[in-house]
Amino acid sequence: MAFCRYARTRGLSIGVTETLGATEAVRAVPDRTLETFQFCLRTVLCSSKEQWDLFDDVFADFLRGVERQKPIGDEKKRDHRGPPTGARIQTQTGFWIAPGAKTSTADGDNETNAVSGASTEERLSTMDFSQVPPRDQAALEKLARRMLKRTSIRLARRFRISGRSGRLDVRRTIRRSIGRGGDPFDLSYRQQKRQQAKLVVLLDVSGSMNLYSLFLLQFMHALAKHFKKTDAFIFSTSLVDISRELRSNALPGAFEILSRRPAGWAAGTRIGESLRDFNRRYGRKSLSRDTFVIILSDGWDTGDPVALATELHAIKRRVKKLVWLNPLLGLHGYQPLTRGMAAALPYVDTFAPAHSLESLLALERHLR
Amino acid sequence: MALRPEEVSNIEDVIRGFEACGYVLDRSLATAVFLLVKLGKPLLIEGHAGVGKTEVAKTLAAYMSTDLIRLQCYEGLDSSSALYEWNYQKQLLAIKLQERADQTVEEKVRHIFGPEFLLERPLLRSIRADKAPVLLIDEVDRSDEAFEAFLLELLSDFQISIPELGTIRARRRPYVVLTSNGTRDLSDALRRRCLFHWIDYPDPEKEMKIVATRAPGAAPGLGTQVVEFVQAVRRMNLAKPPGVAETLDCVQALASLGKDRLDADTAVETLGCLAKSAEDSDKIRAEGIERILARQG
Repeated sequence: MAFCRYARTRGLSIGVTETLGATEAVRAVPDRTLETFQFCLRTVLCSSKEQWDLFDDVFADFLRGVERQKPIGDEKKRDHRGPPTGARIQTQTGFWIAPGAKTSTADGDNETNAVSGASTEERLSTMDFSQVPPRDQAALEKLARRMLKRTSIRLARRFRISGRSGRLDVRRTIRRSIGRGGDPFDLSYRQQKRQQAKLVVLLDVSGSMNLYSLFLLQFMHALAKHFKKTDAFIFSTSLVDISRELRSNALPGAFEILSRRPAGWAAGTRIGESLRDFNRRYGRKSLSRDTFVIILSDGWDTGDPVALATELHAIKRRVKKLVWLNPLLGLHGYQPLTRGMAAALPYVDTFAPAHSLESLLALERHLR
Repeated sequence: MALRPEEVSNIEDVIRGFEACGYVLDRSLATAVFLLVKLGKPLLIEGHAGVGKTEVAKTLAAYMSTDLIRLQCYEGLDSSSALYEWNYQKQLLAIKLQERADQTVEEKVRHIFGPEFLLERPLLRSIRADKAPVLLIDEVDRSDEAFEAFLLELLSDFQISIPELGTIRARRRPYVVLTSNGTRDLSDALRRRCLFHWIDYPDPEKEMKIVATRAPGAAPGLGTQVVEFVQAVRRMNLAKPPGVAETLDCVQALASLGKDRLDADTAVETLGCLAKSAEDSDKIRAEGIERILARQG
């Protein structure tokens, strides 16, 4: 009805079914106060918190529109120019349903808004983090949270489905068949108990990574939720264990702690030394054959490349997969020629970009 | 005697009925419940933890004087634990007993797949019940997407197909209440089939009323104080802001300690009722409990 048509232009997703439902609902309610009418429509038409919050505004605007446009709507009816549904409808119960005769220009404006909203998301998801203008930062963060949530679910599902294979456990089957006179009636299966993988993430927070670190940190936080155990470290000139901070639910709080940490947020990089430190202090505890290691760094190394190679080799020997994500790889024409990067490559299983949301989401492919 | 949908004639009835059962609900939620009863559509309730989502279903069951059938969702929940399962042990025994019986194979099959070998799980039970029960599907966001898709079928037709028995239709449509905490996005298809209601934290007056209803033993001033304290704490941007359940816990804790007013010492002692993680309780302490209390005057 009129309100539905209006609400649709304001971004609530309302189809014919919803409109019918709303009519039905309004009929079912005996009392005819405006408030009840509003609650009624809200319950039927909204289906998420966002819409819920939007609804009251839309409703208020609608009412204002009704008051302002009442005479116009009546006129239109007389002239038979307005569409029949847009005209004023009186239900048999004497309940008012107001004209939704909104000017077409207003509708047009709203539509363009909605369209550009969608394309903003698309644009942001492929954009290099360093290129994101400050005014889009908040939007990107929101989008990131949503998309990351989705990926991780897919990740979890995939792990489970691939675990669905079993081998016949003959021994138990026969043991159990004794009860039925030796007929192997019910078969026992032996299933491989699937260990959920562990994750170690090392994030480079040196000056050159400055533009990316915060986003990548958020990414780490989202990722951490979906592994049995996640150890997280940040490094620039030295290594800091942030596993505990990452586990806490309050991410904004975690940021504060991070920036206060003595690792030298945004200083020079000594990847090799940091990794050696990691191997010595945490290697034994963190690394095992069911561990994925992700290094997030641009490979600009002021330390010794030989040390880097040695340490990477040591890590590689002990883990399931070593993934190096490099934000610079997203730049056009970038070649991994920095000394550090060149030394590291032979030991890395997967070398992938990490400059935009899309590239981060692609990571799930590698974590199998 | 169970209340029939026809007997619920207006929204005031719902509000009064719920209050008689000890649940304070505002007009907006009452409208939603009223529509749930009248239209027979499922109601999806979202909101923060501890604002009384599950309680709506429980109270509805009490109000309609019917059964509450609860299905707690979790990841990996499948149809055999939500819907039905065959009682395999009993079937095997039956086969063994029938071994020497003079029956054709068809008869035997019909026997062992008869209703007495069927284990009813919540969803099937809600459909086969004689009087319409309240079916609470709790924390539906915890189940996986496959199960959600399966729910869709049930919620639109209220019928279940069991290959060996045929299709079972609901005798009476259950009143379905779904709750979600938003740990993941629910599919649009599910949302579209449901009425929706968002429960926010209550305003002070409503919360006071809830405390008075649910914790009648507490001193009157105490309830007011705790509510004001909790409302202040809620504004503090904690990881887990306290819900109404926490307020009630806190009031009850204080009442059972024999206190009739909230001061800094008792607030610290009962902080565990409100802050559910070390970080949060540190945060509240850092803010200064005295200061929060003093601000209320």
